[in-house]
Amino acid sequence: MARTLITGGKVIDPATNTVVDADIAIIGDLIAEIGPKLSKLPAEKVIDAGGCLVTPGLIDPHVHLREPGNERAETIASGTAAAAAGGFTSVCCMPNTTPALDTDTMVHFVLARAEQTASCRVFPVAAVSKGRHGQELAELFLMAKAGAVGFTDDGDCIASAGLMARALAAVKATGKVLMQHCQEPTMTRGGVMHAGEISARLDLGGWPRAAEELIIERDVRLNRSVGCAYHAQHISSGGSIDIIRQARKAGMPVTGEATPHHLLLTCDLIETSRYDTRYKMNPPLREASDIAALKEGIADGTITVLGTDHAPHTHESKDVPFDSASFGIIGFETALALYAKALVDDNVIGWSRMIDMMTWQPAKLCGLDRKGLGRLGVGGPADITIIDPTEKWTITEECLVGQSRNTPFMGTAVQGRAVGVVVGGKVKLNRRG
Amino acid sequence: MSRVDLVNVLSLARTFRDRIGNAPANLADGPIGDELRGRVVGNLFFEDSTRTRVSFSVAAKRLGAEVIDLTSVGSSTSKGETVIDTAANVASMGVDALVIRHRSSGSAHMIAKALDNLAGSQGGGVLHKPCSVINAGDGRHEHPTQGLLDIFTVADAFKRLKDFDLTGITLGIVGDIGSSRVARSGIAGFAALGARVICIGPPSLVPAAIRTLGCETCHDFDAVLPQLDVINVLRIQFERHEVTAGAAKAENQPAAKSSAAIASIREYTEFFGLTEKRAALLKPAAIVMHPGPINRGVEIASSVADGKRSLILRQVHHGVAVRMAAMALCIGN
Repeated sequence: MARTLITGGKVIDPATNTVVDADIAIIGDLIAEIGPKLSKLPAEKVIDAGGCLVTPGLIDPHVHLREPGNERAETIASGTAAAAAGGFTSVCCMPNTTPALDTDTMVHFVLARAEQTASCRVFPVAAVSKGRHGQELAELFLMAKAGAVGFTDDGDCIASAGLMARALAAVKATGKVLMQHCQEPTMTRGGVMHAGEISARLDLGGWPRAAEELIIERDVRLNRSVGCAYHAQHISSGGSIDIIRQARKAGMPVTGEATPHHLLLTCDLIETSRYDTRYKMNPPLREASDIAALKEGIADGTITVLGTDHAPHTHESKDVPFDSASFGIIGFETALALYAKALVDDNVIGWSRMIDMMTWQPAKLCGLDRKGLGRLGVGGPADITIIDPTEKWTITEECLVGQSRNTPFMGTAVQGRAVGVVVGGKVKLNRRG
Repeated sequence: MSRVDLVNVLSLARTFRDRIGNAPANLADGPIGDELRGRVVGNLFFEDSTRTRVSFSVAAKRLGAEVIDLTSVGSSTSKGETVIDTAANVASMGVDALVIRHRSSGSAHMIAKALDNLAGSQGGGVLHKPCSVINAGDGRHEHPTQGLLDIFTVADAFKRLKDFDLTGITLGIVGDIGSSRVARSGIAGFAALGARVICIGPPSLVPAAIRTLGCETCHDFDAVLPQLDVINVLRIQFERHEVTAGAAKAENQPAAKSSAAIASIREYTEFFGLTEKRAALLKPAAIVMHPGPINRGVEIASSVADGKRSLILRQVHHGVAVRMAAMALCIGN
């Protein structure tokens, strides 16, 4: 069988906490060998990784692929092409499609479409409640059997405490993770930005920190007697970090997730940009103190997972008045460089820790570690990302591979980029070729 | 009940079963004993029942008692009478034992206490003789004679009728454990006699706290099947569940069959239905039981309910002997 070689890079495997200068030989869809001086072996393809980090394929545990239902914004094909361009080899897609991903039939559909059209691996995260209406549990056991790697009503919060209690017990029995979109709905009706002085000045509906913190606090309490794997998605408030820190200290299976935009942007940009809807996120951008708390949480290991919340939207749904525009920002192509800007450039953590938060940690979160993903192991699947941490580039329209353009980072100068991506032994990106 | 008490009732039931024989009772043959001659038994059923009520009636009559069936007692309570008053009125007419079913947990205990107090007090219009109360199902709490007949059936099948020692036997109870008085009585009784009891079902139907009764819990039916000597299958008691607004409106699912605890019957059956395929994974000599009523195709496949391993109708047969024993111990001559 044909051999592919990745030579001359610094190989980082967070699962074993190792960093070595080594080559990697791939045969078929598996890693055949990791070691020095493999470059002499005969090979069909050779990727020169000199000066680069060679890491497990990046995993994004929080993405919206919009198929089925909103294929004008994104499809499984276009979204995963963008993911691969950004260095990702696996993505976990959220269930807020139309119809919702709330039956085993829908799980089978997404997996079948991915099989036909995707550029990277796709793992569905299925709905907790039927129709994502927050009323009654969906068929969680059937969906887990069909291949769902976790459960969430993302886009909406599981607001009912009664439903949440049942969901925690049921999801625990499936062995999967329950991800929560933490937003108390009665406090955030009409909320489109951080509640504070700026929302008052701009006359925009406020979405207070407490609406996020209350849900996490409640869920942690409900989960005390259950012990289900619980994951707070896209954390925006510094107060949430404290709650998760305490829960983890008490030994509870609680994790949290940070997005690039919540680490880099603040709500004053909505005022200075005069209502630019590209800054409209859910949960909303907050203040510098929240960013500081998020970074502290990442530095001390409270926040262990990075996720983009890649949320593509058509021009038409963003180019409207602020209060009626869609929430969200695309993330695939820009995530790696933006995380490096927020975390490495600011000396919060180094590259190795950051890679861990983008590979091994999300793999464990979604049970992908049991498929050998999120790590570099001989005999394991050949999902590999090659990163040039020194490449300087500017985010422009031309860099975007996906179908939508909704990002406020256009024109931002960044450093660090995925230059090679291998998914299941197949080279999906090679900027060194 | 203590192990000694259980063995006492079960041993007496064995005596009656031997007298009746192994075939269903032939009612036209008349009484098989006079343990209850001259006694009056009142069936006071505030909740629907077919099996249990008829079983108590047959048992009482075949031991010589008279039976009064009070099945539409709802008429009194709907006029505002309390349960205790209804029971006291019936007892004052000279009934020796009341067989009571009520939807509230603890109701039989409450009525028994009230009748004891009346029997002890003096003055006109109160009870002159004590009246026994036999619990035929109180809410989700207990259904003692069902638990006893399940134990009897297992002891019979595994040849433990001599001392009712069930050591070494592993019993699975699959289904709506949380709603089930049959499960609660069964767990306690089987555990007291040395059997290992595993309650099986989704977390919403198998609360972890049920372990305090002396059983284990498990959410993976397929994994435990090969360990089981007995599988007791329970139906989902939709009528005792909280119904969600959404579920009542759901298509293809009548409100009566919807529950906040179950995403769908399809899903339940997929993971917890006793299908032929699952029954084949049981131990070779394993037996299948069900307290009824059966929802065929939901918790148990017809072919399994009617199959070689099934002792479902034998349970009913043993029910008569067990109820004879219960009544004879309470009010027998």
